[in-house]
Amino acid sequence: MADTTGTNQASSTKILIAQVLLAVALVAFWELVGRKFGYSWTSLPSLIAVRIVEWIGTDLAHHVTVTLSEIFIGLTIGGTSGILLGLVLGRSIVLGTVFRPIIVGFYSVPIITLAPLFILWFGLDLAPKIVLVTVSAFFLLFFNTFSGVRAIDRDLILSMRIMGASSGEEFRKVIAPGAMTWIISGVKIALPYAFAAAVTGELLASRDGLGSLLAKAAAQFDMTGLYSALVVLMVMGIVTSAIAVGVERWMLRWRNATG
Amino acid sequence: MPRGDTMLENRPKPTPVSAANTGGAMVRMQDVAKDFSVRGKETRALQPINLTVNRREFVSLVGPSGCGKSTALNLVAGLLTPTSGQVFYDGQLVQGLNERVGYITQKDTLLPWRTAADNIAVPLELRCRNESRKVIRERVAEMIELVGLRGFDKHYPGELSGGMRKRVALARTLIYEPETLLMDEPFGALDAQLKLLMHDQLQRLTQQRKMTVMFVTHDLAEAIALSDRVVVFSARPGRIRAEREIPLDRPRDVFKVRFADTFSRLHEELWNELKDEVVKGTDV
Ligand SMILES: Nc1ncnc2c1ncn2[C@@H]1O[C@H](COP(=O)(O)OP(=O)(O)O)[C@@H](O)[C@H]1O
Ligand SMILES: [Mg+2]
Repeated sequence: MADTTGTNQASSTKILIAQVLLAVALVAFWELVGRKFGYSWTSLPSLIAVRIVEWIGTDLAHHVTVTLSEIFIGLTIGGTSGILLGLVLGRSIVLGTVFRPIIVGFYSVPIITLAPLFILWFGLDLAPKIVLVTVSAFFLLFFNTFSGVRAIDRDLILSMRIMGASSGEEFRKVIAPGAMTWIISGVKIALPYAFAAAVTGELLASRDGLGSLLAKAAAQFDMTGLYSALVVLMVMGIVTSAIAVGVERWMLRWRNATG
Repeated sequence: MPRGDTMLENRPKPTPVSAANTGGAMVRMQDVAKDFSVRGKETRALQPINLTVNRREFVSLVGPSGCGKSTALNLVAGLLTPTSGQVFYDGQLVQGLNERVGYITQKDTLLPWRTAADNIAVPLELRCRNESRKVIRERVAEMIELVGLRGFDKHYPGELSGGMRKRVALARTLIYEPETLLMDEPFGALDAQLKLLMHDQLQRLTQQRKMTVMFVTHDLAEAIALSDRVVVFSARPGRIRAEREIPLDRPRDVFKVRFADTFSRLHEELWNELKDEVVKGTDV
């Protein structure tokens, strides 16, 4: 056991080093090719770095906060309601059979296409983006939680009942933790969708947030600004998903053994 | 239909169950048959059987695999309803889950996200028992010791062997001392020495706590060593082929009882009954 963990750590460090080297090589290639053949369409890593530093000195923190709050609030509201509805419909065969197809029907509308509607309804501030994120998160967490509840081994529930568990205890001790695997993977899947929803909303109409930076740069043919905003988004995406993976690993530590 | 069943209970019936037995009966299966329908095809798992288990009695069911032993336990636990006949528990018709039994099922039903210790603690956490944390911790430690899992209390089920998981399940059931134990091949995955240790503990505990036990096994020696009575099932569809009282004194020394003359005589008798059925059973 200890052995394999050791080798895994060693090889994952090696992989990480290789990945960093590859990234550095790509950036260097970009810089060199840009300098040689012109960079009006591709900007240059050095220019992007300078721009990001400049933004950090001014209002980058503000835009990042705006985008992250939209994501956080939307995920909280949409995720919670999706999980709750998934738990209820997952547990009841009748309600599940009746309502799930309806929800599937709603979900067949690509959520991003609702953005103009929400902007008309809720204005230019945070509200329409939060609603957009909420809707994306709601569906993903509903479907995952629903499947998670349905996947719980019925024999676990029966054995708890024979021991005398009430239906509340059955829920707290079997259903909720049993569905947790699925809920967590739902959150992981929902994160990039939430990002996309928030930024798309901002792209369409906004004064704040990373999407607005993108839109402004694009309108002014400011390639460096455009790439800088994308780089910031990429870093945010990587950091949040790394956090999600860490949380998952901790919450589901019992699963490491089963594989 | 349930109402009709209750009526039948009071009506005298010409069954082999003797009147003397009914008084002390904890479990009474009366003309119980069970059919399963799989993709529209009915198969009979259990022919009508009559079986009584008295209060504080330890009864083993042996028979070839697929003969309906697990089905019989499921019927007593109320997980299945009989196709015909009735199952009574302590004089009452079993309808719905029978919460008065502790059931160690053949398939393990540990909660994979809880450690061994936390799995064993589950029954005591329930509101119907509502033990304090301190009591739970002490009792869990005792049970871990009893089933020989010291040092494995922090392991998740996925990190334990099949035999260890069975022992966790055993501890989880014994910890709340149900009046009746249903055990489905609980020691099948254990090596011979560990099995004997478990037999010793099980005997001690069931005697001490005055438990009634229905024990399913394919190990005839184990059945004889532990039981007051051994019931041999025929190959599928199961019916009761033979029954023997085991007149060995209690408490028994499970390590030595095998060498008693009575033991070898019973073993031979029961094996003669069982072997034909095993032969029949295996070509199914
Ligand atoms: N839930 C079920 N659905 C269909 N058939 C079943 C089910 N449970 C058991 N059976 C069938 O009933 C027979 C008896 O099974 P079981 O009681 O598990 O046997 P045993 O425990 O003696 O090995 C087998 O043929 C099995 O295939
Ligand atoms: Mg079985």
